[in-house]
Amino acid sequence: MVIDPLQTVLIVASLVLALVTGVYVALDRSPDRVLVALLALLEAGLVVQAVVGIGQLIGGSGDPGITFVGYLLAVLVILPLGLLWSLGERSRGATAVLIVALLTVAFLVLRLEQIHAAA
Amino acid sequence: MPQPDAARTPAPGRSGRSSTSTGLGRVLVATYAVFALAATARSLVQLLTKASEAPLAYTLSALAAVVYVLATLGLAEVGPRPRTMAWAAVGFELVGVLTVGTLTVLDPELFPDATVWSAYGQGYGYLPLVLPFLGIAWLVHTRPRD
Repeated sequence: MVIDPLQTVLIVASLVLALVTGVYVALDRSPDRVLVALLALLEAGLVVQAVVGIGQLIGGSGDPGITFVGYLLAVLVILPLGLLWSLGERSRGATAVLIVALLTVAFLVLRLEQIHAAA
Repeated sequence: MPQPDAARTPAPGRSGRSSTSTGLGRVLVATYAVFALAATARSLVQLLTKASEAPLAYTLSALAAVVYVLATLGLAEVGPRPRTMAWAAVGFELVGVLTVGTLTVLDPELFPDATVWSAYGQGYGYLPLVLPFLGIAWLVHTRPRD
């Protein structure tokens, strides 16, 4: 399985970024360019995962099917939507929205790995 | 002694307090949105791929998805009467997770396939059980005061 190392990196990156965002919340700092850039980097990794994953499906290795593709695509919308909702207000709660988004991404990638392994 | 005029126009702080979508409410809305997405996706996959296998469980999944979507919109203050919608959705959610949770624990065979609320949301780290309590607490905390 080619995409496994990438998924491990994505999960670790999501969790580390969730911790970093936690520091922002603790210090009552709003997301700045550095944090947004790191989120964009993670999102790029998720796009790579989707492309590789769908490519493998077309290549015909197994048939994890609709659920697998669903997860690959669903995980792409989480960070943009979370960031949009987070930037709508300047408060600790708004910044903490990013933690929810990042934990969701970590969870979805983990499930993706499990679905892939089961197939 | 409060002035009569002051009683008619709510102070900025008070009107801010009665919003369900600001401050901590944003985190709650985000969490509900995740469940709305998860439940909707799960329900769509179940209905599209194997609707006949477990009609009851899949209908329940679809119902849960609608409830989470309405709760998200209500708490995010979308629509004409968001607070009423949020109360209705979160209340239904509480009844749903307690009923389905209890039934599935007593009789695991009742629903052949899992729903979000099976075994009190065990498959989702029991968050489906915790969420309605948080939702109700938040609606009470932010209730408009006359």
